[in-house]
Amino acid sequence: MTLEDEIRQIVLARLETLPEDTGMSIGFAGELNKQELISHVKNGDMIGQTIIDAEMQFLQALKTGVFYE
Amino acid sequence: MNKRLLVTRPNFDRTTRYVSVWAKDVIKVAEQKGFTVLDLVGKRANRREFEGMVRKHKPSFLFLNGHGSADAITGQNEEPLVEVGVNADVLKGAVTYALSCSSGKTLGVQAVAHGADAYIGYREEFIFLFDEAMRTRPGQDELAAHFSTSSNQVALSLLKGHTAKEAHENSRQSFARSMRKLLTSEATDRESAAIRYLFWNMRHQVCLGNGSAKI
Repeated sequence: MTLEDEIRQIVLARLETLPEDTGMSIGFAGELNKQELISHVKNGDMIGQTIIDAEMQFLQALKTGVFYE
Repeated sequence: MNKRLLVTRPNFDRTTRYVSVWAKDVIKVAEQKGFTVLDLVGKRANRREFEGMVRKHKPSFLFLNGHGSADAITGQNEEPLVEVGVNADVLKGAVTYALSCSSGKTLGVQAVAHGADAYIGYREEFIFLFDEAMRTRPGQDELAAHFSTSSNQVALSLLKGHTAKEAHENSRQSFARSMRKLLTSEATDRESAAIRYLFWNMRHQVCLGNGSAKI
């Protein structure tokens, strides 16, 4: 499994924990519900990739301890 | 000093209805501080009214809310209000805060090249989470409020007399505070999920042009 695949699994696991009534506004995609978000991440399309990028950047930042400075 | 604020607040879908409501807090503070507020809400957020208002009143601060792209910021029903290669010069001489996706990538750069004092915006998508149950009450959506508080900090800091760069930094610090609070408190699942998108918005917010500019 590549790092990208591992991150995708982390993102999906995170999204699965969301209550069904949680939505996301994401620019070009408009408003998405939980199941739509999961679908985009699984498909690996542009929206899914943006969500994965957000997760990767967050994890990298956590590693540097930036939130606790 | 020219104390005029022009706000665009399209409100035709969920995203624009939310940011339109968020902007009310900024308008309230602006009025308290003696600013004349030119509020282009709903169908008034169109190019004709926008350009006319800017050219006539020359506001020192433009607060643009709505959908966008690297090349444009739009108004009601996604009508472009400011576009690269078309009318980026309309922002000349003012400080702009664009709560809009990706316009910091190209439009903001061109606006500054055409004489905008400063341009604060986002290089990537502005992302926020919301509570479906609050569909008709965006102002009471506590999940979305984690995002609006930090975004609004740009405009509120400018209204309090801070420079563009300080306003940008104050907003970034507000995002960081929200993230730290959610990381260290007993956050709900969706509040925990929000942290990475708060970080995303913080990371991609940019301040272009003269960082010392004030409104």
